Amino acid sequence: MIENFLAGSATLFGDPFTIGIFIFGVLGGMLFGAIPGVSMLTLAAILLPFTADLSPAQGVMLFAVIYCTGTYGGAITAILFNIPGAPENAPTAFDGYPMTQKGMAGKAVGAAVLCSAIGGVASALVMMSATEPLAQWAIMNIGPPEIFALVFFGLAVASSVGGRTIWKGWLSVLLGLLIATIGQDPVGGINRFNFGYSDLAAGIAFVPAILGFFAVSEIFIQAEKNVSGKYSAPKFNVDFPSFLELWAHKIAVVRSIFVGFFCGILPGIGATLAAFMGYGEAVRWSKNKSEFGTGKLEGVISSETANNAATGAAMIPLLALGLPGGALTAMMVAVFQMHDLEPGPLVFYNSPELIWIVFAAMFYANLSILFVGLIETKTILYLLKIPFQFLAPMILMLASIGAYISRGLVLDVIVMFIAGIIGFLLRRSGYSIPGIVLGLILGKIGEQNFAQGMQMVHYDLGTYFSRPICTILIVAGVLTLLKSLHSAFFQKSKAT
Amino acid sequence: MGKLGRTDIFEAVFWLLIAIIFFAFSFNFNQPIEIYKFGATGWPRVILFLMALVALGNFYQAYSKGSEAQEGRVGAKENDDPIEYTSTGQYFKTGMILILPLLYGLSLKPVGFYSGTPIFIALIMIAWGERRVRFILTNTILIYAILIGLFMLVLNAPLPQGNMSPFYDISAFMLKTKTQLDQMF
Repeated sequence: MIENFLAGSATLFGDPFTIGIFIFGVLGGMLFGAIPGVSMLTLAAILLPFTADLSPAQGVMLFAVIYCTGTYGGAITAILFNIPGAPENAPTAFDGYPMTQKGMAGKAVGAAVLCSAIGGVASALVMMSATEPLAQWAIMNIGPPEIFALVFFGLAVASSVGGRTIWKGWLSVLLGLLIATIGQDPVGGINRFNFGYSDLAAGIAFVPAILGFFAVSEIFIQAEKNVSGKYSAPKFNVDFPSFLELWAHKIAVVRSIFVGFFCGILPGIGATLAAFMGYGEAVRWSKNKSEFGTGKLEGVISSETANNAATGAAMIPLLALGLPGGALTAMMVAVFQMHDLEPGPLVFYNSPELIWIVFAAMFYANLSILFVGLIETKTILYLLKIPFQFLAPMILMLASIGAYISRGLVLDVIVMFIAGIIGFLLRRSGYSIPGIVLGLILGKIGEQNFAQGMQMVHYDLGTYFSRPICTILIVAGVLTLLKSLHSAFFQKSKAT
Repeated sequence: MGKLGRTDIFEAVFWLLIAIIFFAFSFNFNQPIEIYKFGATGWPRVILFLMALVALGNFYQAYSKGSEAQEGRVGAKENDDPIEYTSTGQYFKTGMILILPLLYGLSLKPVGFYSGTPIFIALIMIAWGERRVRFILTNTILIYAILIGLFMLVLNAPLPQGNMSPFYDISAFMLKTKTQLDQMF
């Protein structure tokens, strides 16, 4: 492994053009992740056609680096503006934004930098040492029933955070699941809920929906406060967390690395579910559950460690099985295909140099988060000083471009603004926007794997439950739902 | 009426209507799939059934305990300090905040990005309460310049050009100028 890693590093740093691409990926991912309204996906969508002129190793490496640094960059906007740069940063905003409101933005961003780097580096190390055996394990043990079970468990966890009541949390997730059914059904390709619009046959794209629900709805909320004279600018602060503050959360970091890695390794699940599960587990094991959501450092730490731990793991199903774990890894498949390559087991034998350049680049990209991130963070915190009247139209315009660029459809910009209006109204009533987005992202994956699982077991639930991982996850999901239901009926509301 | 408010009744009606309307539309694609017993309608109908069920639970919660946040809910910090609407003017202002961006989105196809964007930026600042003319002008120009500089000149991103004269001609002029700039440098 070490020889391969050194060889990958030598190839990476032996060519000035490759170094340039690496630096561009590191800075581009961080910058696009940290600009509210656009995300690493916007940058990736713009860069995709240009990768045809690069070598396959350079193209895939560029996207892998953007994936690592962009996942961290999205935490900045989540913390500073309550606008997650990507869905995987949504749980970061639960505690990150209240910390900004309390004048602790520096601590939250500092923790995000460090934990993203730790999670990412740990994940990269495991990925380098165990991609092949882990891929083999996944092939042997993970099938559609297990993926559906994990989606179910993830949605059960997601419904228990974010909404004002458990009912509102569930309704949010169900709305996301319903939106995900728009477009062709994943089994028979039959058009569903397109209401006569042919553009809707491809479904609601993630990027505009996510931008609308997160960025646009937040801008609307702040604008409403602005016209009502209730807007108060976030407090500026550049104090980073001390070593002792971070050391106190070492268990949360280790737990989130495991959770993130497990979620990332499963095809189709990716970093988003990892972040929710990492956050959910932090709440579950905490002695002070009620402090979560009010500006608790552990919330930021657990979510950011988990989502970056998933980035390395997400490369395992992609490289070993050819199965992307999210939107950006799906674009990597496109990069492979542009160079007449197919990701899958044969890549390890046919293009080992490509694999090891990508592994080495991801390792160094995660390390760069620590060093470049700390310098960048001090600068980026000054975004808080920009007046709302300038920042808000800028974010809306960036979001419009971000929504349009991914598919080149004006419909996506309209969808984004409609999602923004719906998000604004639902947030006012205490519904969970992250819940909607997670339902939207996991809906199709869940349905597809449920259908495939049912076909596999010939619609026999007994066989379904004879699979241990599947049973454990479904039981855990049911218990989570029952616990929430119990608290809905037997717990007092805050007012009573 | 228990602890029910007008919003709670509206919410229940809203969710039940969604469930009913989508259920009715599900008959449009109620076709069997040979390889899959539950067909294309199975999954969405389960979601709609659960949505109706949970909406009733939400209604019961509001009836028995009011619509305040449940104790121990994580991340439910939204709307801690809700804005009370006391005049029609406030509704109008919020309406403008929500509608203007949507109108911009709808105008992108005929008007295009290059012509529509500066107008939208200025309008949105006015709708959001900004009245200083110099501030509006300078910031509109600055935002527009940043966007054009980054996406058109640096990243060469394809943006909507519009299909209506004279907006299409303006877009064509800008793209032609960009090509000439590319050739110069």
